[in-house]
Amino acid sequence: MKIYAIFMISGLAVGSLYALGGIGLVVLRRATGFLNFAYGAIAAASAMICWQFIDWGFAGPVSWLMSILTGVILSVFFGRYLAPSLAWREPVVKAVATLGFALIILGLVSFIWDDAARKLVLPTDKIGFRLMEVRITVTRIIAFGSSLLIALGTILYLEKTRTGLQMRALANNRAHSALIGIPILKVETIAWALSGALAGFTGMLFGDLVRLDPTIITFMVIPAIAAAICGRLESLFLTFIGGLSIGVAEAMLTLVKTAAPFRSLVAFVVAVLVILWMQRKQRLVFQTED
Amino acid sequence: MDVISHFRQESRTYAALGFVAICVIVLPVVIDSIWVKVLTSAVIFTLAAYGISLLYSQLGLVNLSQVALIGVGGWIMLRLNYAVQLPFELNLLVSAVITAFIGMILALPAMRMKGLYLALITLMVAGGFQIIFSAIQFPNGGAGFLGVALQSPGEMRRPLIAESDTAYLRYSIIVVVLGVMLAAAHNRGRPGRAWAMIRKSEANAMAAGVNVTLYKLWCFTLSGFLAGVSGGLLAGALKILDAKSFPAGESILLFALSIVGGVGHWMGAVIAGFLYRVVPAIFNNIGIDADLSLVIFGAALLHAIMTAPNGIAGQLSSLFQSLGRQNK
Amino acid sequence: MFMRNMGLALILAMGLISYSQGVMAAEPECGANTGQKATGDPIVVGGINGNAPPGDFSGGTDAAAAYFLCVNDNGGINGRPIKYIVENDQWNPELAAQVATKLVKDDGVVALVGNGSVVSMAVNAKLYKDEDVMAMASACAISDCYENSNIVSTNQGPLPSGIGALKFAVEELGTEHAACIGFNIPNNGGWACDWAGKYMESVGKKSTALLMDPSAVDLNSVYLQALAEGVDTIMLMLPAGPALGILKVAEEQDGGDTFKWISPTPLYDPTVPEALGDYWNNKLYVNIELGPFNSDGPDNQNWIAVMDKYGEDGDRRDTFSQSGYLSAKFFVDTLLKMDPAEINRTNVTKAIKGISGLTSDLLCGPYYVGDFDRHMPNHAGRMVVYADNEFKVVRDCYDIESSYLDSIRQQERQLKLIQ
Repeated sequence: MKIYAIFMISGLAVGSLYALGGIGLVVLRRATGFLNFAYGAIAAASAMICWQFIDWGFAGPVSWLMSILTGVILSVFFGRYLAPSLAWREPVVKAVATLGFALIILGLVSFIWDDAARKLVLPTDKIGFRLMEVRITVTRIIAFGSSLLIALGTILYLEKTRTGLQMRALANNRAHSALIGIPILKVETIAWALSGALAGFTGMLFGDLVRLDPTIITFMVIPAIAAAICGRLESLFLTFIGGLSIGVAEAMLTLVKTAAPFRSLVAFVVAVLVILWMQRKQRLVFQTED
Repeated sequence: MDVISHFRQESRTYAALGFVAICVIVLPVVIDSIWVKVLTSAVIFTLAAYGISLLYSQLGLVNLSQVALIGVGGWIMLRLNYAVQLPFELNLLVSAVITAFIGMILALPAMRMKGLYLALITLMVAGGFQIIFSAIQFPNGGAGFLGVALQSPGEMRRPLIAESDTAYLRYSIIVVVLGVMLAAAHNRGRPGRAWAMIRKSEANAMAAGVNVTLYKLWCFTLSGFLAGVSGGLLAGALKILDAKSFPAGESILLFALSIVGGVGHWMGAVIAGFLYRVVPAIFNNIGIDADLSLVIFGAALLHAIMTAPNGIAGQLSSLFQSLGRQNK
Repeated sequence: MFMRNMGLALILAMGLISYSQGVMAAEPECGANTGQKATGDPIVVGGINGNAPPGDFSGGTDAAAAYFLCVNDNGGINGRPIKYIVENDQWNPELAAQVATKLVKDDGVVALVGNGSVVSMAVNAKLYKDEDVMAMASACAISDCYENSNIVSTNQGPLPSGIGALKFAVEELGTEHAACIGFNIPNNGGWACDWAGKYMESVGKKSTALLMDPSAVDLNSVYLQALAEGVDTIMLMLPAGPALGILKVAEEQDGGDTFKWISPTPLYDPTVPEALGDYWNNKLYVNIELGPFNSDGPDNQNWIAVMDKYGEDGDRRDTFSQSGYLSAKFFVDTLLKMDPAEINRTNVTKAIKGISGLTSDLLCGPYYVGDFDRHMPNHAGRMVVYADNEFKVVRDCYDIESSYLDSIRQQERQLKLIQ
């Protein structure tokens, strides 16, 4: 029994990171139409900044803040300076453009911080308690709790606030939204900032809980996209559930010895199945936006 | 066809032939051994990049799993090498055909999709193969279906006429040229016309009696075939393959560089192969951190997406055209 | 890199201040030790390391480079300086083939010294044989380093070092069932864990190989796998970086006492104690392939002196560094016996294959090469335990028993190194 609990908890922690990543992607995609492949690279830059500030001897909270700030700055930079010229292009072209941004960030981050072995330690790693003989650190609680809260908060934000309403309007029809006087630039910038902050936060937790390596964090975007696909790139709730399920399934498969080496396939298999299921009624592609 | 355009067509063909002749005859002789190896890789990836270019330019489809398919081709090539004593060419052909078949199966779900969701499916496939490769490894002469031995690798045979590195570079260039010609012939023929109609509008293409599913599958299969040939050639060039060479990130990078090079033209694929393998090697050689090449590639991709949809090849050709006009 | 250099500059500045007040380090002794700069026609020597995630194996070439600089300041090879060209294969097989071709064919090196890489040897073993060039490696970790005629490595590699650690664990810690956590690279983790398993079987104990993807994202699940297997001992057959990652996970789960923790040499690194912290006091046992860093032995002291004077700021000072120093020293000693005008690849290869019965306080046994189809001169090591921010020797020089060594012992009998 204990062993299952341990795997479950480990899976929930990783799964909530996928979920957090997926939520950040979906928020941005809904408001701006961009599926941001650079999300992982932004997270990687934020994680490295966090490590750097801790290494320079800054207090924890300063480092965490710098990390999240890095995410916001990078994300908003793309949103303000590069995204507008792509606003009317097809979604796939927008996504490919973010690949370019991802490569730039990854190249710079790998250049600045060479391949030395580093580890990111947050003070919350040392604090923990026991649940069914399993030790759970506060960092894991934060990862899980924050993804839950963020998912809830974002849903409420989009439902209840005016900016949220405007974001949903933008997602529905950009041209009409502009016509009825929605401040597109402002709303989009908020979305980029929010998504960037989430990327920064996710990157920091990923660097602590999983591994502090720019390349690995950059390509964490792939399972995060899988989680987002579970939510059809639209639903925050389903993205959240998808991310958690992928994380837990991945961890539990470790127990099945023959399947263990292939367990990371879960995210991709799930994503492909969801896409197929979504398209089940469609026979042809007649110039839809996607 | 009037005389001038015929002449232009012909001179273009001669230019292409001249380019290939220089590559085959002169280059392998004048360059150092390391550059023979680097160029061999670049040439091999050119063919795979041409597959990406074909899908993007003909059908507007984003393929983010090409390097994974190269890995599949390489895996089958190594597996055949250790399993049967057949000539290199036959193994290469079988690897390419099986890879094309796998590419086709992967394309089946894509039949009802285009744009973003298709790109995502291919990305998921690339991610999946990354896991599979590192779980099963590449054959190195061991027993069993997977053929992995816990020891030093066995001997990967090269073609009898191309045992040395320079000969193998020439051999690869010729195979790649044949591959590009095969694809170009498709482009000019019936499939090319069908693809053009599908790209404009699937509904119209269907109304005009084009079998949309068939021709879409055809394009994927062809692209997979080119990736399979690349993988087989790569196995022969390196003699051992490693899972580390085929992660999803590399598929993304090769796609990006294909766009940068310019889709729809063989020169674009050549530029993509050059950027993918030669530029990092040059950086390495002159002591610049190869990570910085990523920064340049990323910027070039953004530039290509935003302002130069035909890539470097397109810019070069319009440069030549405007020069030609000035000379008149 | 930039950030690290800035930090190092600071450390260096502080170091200089304390240095001027402290004792003078001993002067290094290198080659002919004449104190004269060598000015003749340079002898070109190459080296390949692998430095990229998941591991940094540059210690060997760093130390060899430092030693060669020292030799060049001390008369060189009878007046001829050594021009040492180092390439990094970045754990990339394609790049490994390219840089080896460059060194062997384009640069025309007479030999390769100090090599340390996981992928390079597998890719290039045949090239070295075809081109008849010897590689005196220092930080080898795959089977190809020990099963080829033209490669000889000064370090033991994971197989003997891992079995050495297991032998200690079985005899002193009461291990019954060990997990061997390694990379699922067939000729690295697969090979070493396989032979480790055979050893455990031969002493009537159990073992389980847990092979992970080198780019595996979640080290947590690797640790959990060991937990699920119900082992009592965990052996980390990994480079220092990932090994530390698993130890961090274990610490989080308070697994320091749940298992006995052992490791082959990569964790024996002066930067590791800082990363470990007090939690691991007396819980982590490491097999070391060369000498203890604080030993008073002449070669160890000279290694420190060479690194202090000729090493670069970022150089690692780990076991692989000692090994690189030793490879370079044996290489130079061999070349010094040759006619400087006759130093070419063919003669150097012949001379290296003629090496037999060299000794050093860094090694537990003799160093030899010989004209054989495989080489593994170093297979006896020591065991240390981590305690109070340092490593302490808990068992001095001991050899291992494994049928893998049958042909090696045959060689040693032939060279009359053992009875």
